Amino acid sequence: MTTSLWRQHILPFTFLVGLLAVVTLAGDYLLHRLNLVWVGRYLGIPGTLLIIASLIYSLRKRKYIKTGNPKKLLTLHEFGTWIGASLVLIHAGIHFNAILPWLATVAMGVNAVSGMVGKLLLDRSRRHVQEQREHFQLRGLSRPDVEQAMFWDAVTLDAMNRWRKVHIPIFVVFAMLALGHIISIFLFWGWV
Amino acid sequence: MSRILKFVLAANLIVIAILAFVYPNLMVGPGKLIPGHKQLETDCFACHAPVLGASSERCVSCHKTAEIGRLTTTGKPITKPLTSTPFHQKLINQDCIACHSDHAGVKRFRPQRHFNHALLQKATLEQCQSCHKSPADSLHRQISGNCSQCHNQNKWTPATFDHRKYFELDRDHNASCVTCHAGNDYSRYTCYGCHEHTPDNIRREHIEEGIRDFDNCVECHRSADEHDIRGRGNGAREGGREDKDD
Repeated sequence: MTTSLWRQHILPFTFLVGLLAVVTLAGDYLLHRLNLVWVGRYLGIPGTLLIIASLIYSLRKRKYIKTGNPKKLLTLHEFGTWIGASLVLIHAGIHFNAILPWLATVAMGVNAVSGMVGKLLLDRSRRHVQEQREHFQLRGLSRPDVEQAMFWDAVTLDAMNRWRKVHIPIFVVFAMLALGHIISIFLFWGWV
Repeated sequence: MSRILKFVLAANLIVIAILAFVYPNLMVGPGKLIPGHKQLETDCFACHAPVLGASSERCVSCHKTAEIGRLTTTGKPITKPLTSTPFHQKLINQDCIACHSDHAGVKRFRPQRHFNHALLQKATLEQCQSCHKSPADSLHRQISGNCSQCHNQNKWTPATFDHRKYFELDRDHNASCVTCHAGNDYSRYTCYGCHEHTPDNIRREHIEEGIRDFDNCVECHRSADEHDIRGRGNGAREGGREDKDD
C-alpha cells in the first residue's frame, strides 16, 4: 500500500514539480550565461498565451464550445499550462521588484501545483473507471462510446469535483493578479 | 464557487487594486527610483505616457537640453559634474531612454557607464579632446588630435594601431614592446635590442651593398625579409646606396 502510494502518487507529483523548478533554473541560468537576459523579459508573453490557449479545455468541458476531442484538449491543457508556467517563471527570474507581479507569480505557482494534484487525481479516477470498462462493454456500447463515457466519468468523479472547488478560485486569483500586471505593463512600458 | 468565497476573493482583489493605486512604486514599479527622482515615486505619469512608456519629452520638460551638465533642474550650477564637458547638447537626437533608466530593476539590464559615441553629432565625434584628456606619457604628449589613427571609439585599449604599416611583427619579431621601444617610448625604436642585430654586423652588411645611410631601418625594411625592401629607402639609391655601376 505504502509502496503503491509512493510510486503512483508522490513520485510522479514530485517529479513534475521538481522538473518545473529545474527547467526554470536552467532557463534562467542559460539566459544569464548567454547574455540574453533581455529575452526573459518577453518570455512572459508566450507563457501567458500558452496558458490562455490551454483554457480551451475548460470551455469544452463546460460545453461553451462543442467541438474538439476532450481527451486531446486535456493533454493540451496539461502541457500548455506546464510549459506556459515554466516560461512565466523564467520571465519572473529571481528579480524582486514590484509586489503585484510577484503575487501573480506565486498564485501561478500554486495554480500549477494544484493542476498537477488534479492530474494525479484524474489518473486515480481513470484507474477506478477502468474497472467499469467491462460493464460498459457488456451493455454493447462501441469502443469510441466506451472511451468517451469513461473519460466523462473520470473527470466528474466526486474527488475531481471537490478538487475543482479549490482549483478554480486559485485560478481566478491568479488570472486577476496576472491581469493587473499585464495592464500595468501596457500602461507604463514603451511599446512603440 | 460559493457566495462567501466569491465575496472573499473579490474583497482581496479590490484591496490589492487600491494598494496598486496608493503605492504604485511598491506594487507595480520595477524597483527603486534613482535618488534624484525620489519625489516622483507615486507620480508615475510624471515620466510615463500611457501605453507609450517613459518619454523624452517629459524628461526635457524638467531637464532643459541646453542646461544638462551645466545647471541643475532648479537652475543652480552643478558643482561636481559627472563628465568634464557637457555633451548632451551635441547628440544627434534627444532619446533619453536610449541611455537612462531610473528604476533599479530596469537599470540592471542596461549597460551602465557605457557611452555610445555613435549618438554624437559628426563634428563633435572627431573632437576627442573636448571630452577626453590626452594621456600624459611621452608618446601622447607629442600628439594632438587625430586619435582615430590609433584608437577606435568603442575601447581606448587595445589600440587599433596597425603595426604592420610600419613593421611586421612576424614570428622572428614576436618580442615584447620594450625590446625595440626602450622605456616604452613608442616615438623611438631600436633594432639593436636583440642579439641578432648588432651595430657592427648591420654596418658590415650594408657597406658591402654600398649603403651608407642605414640608421633608420624601417625606412627600407618593413618586415624580417631582408629582400623585401618596401619603404622610402626602396629608392635607396638616393637615400644611401652608392651605385656600383657609376
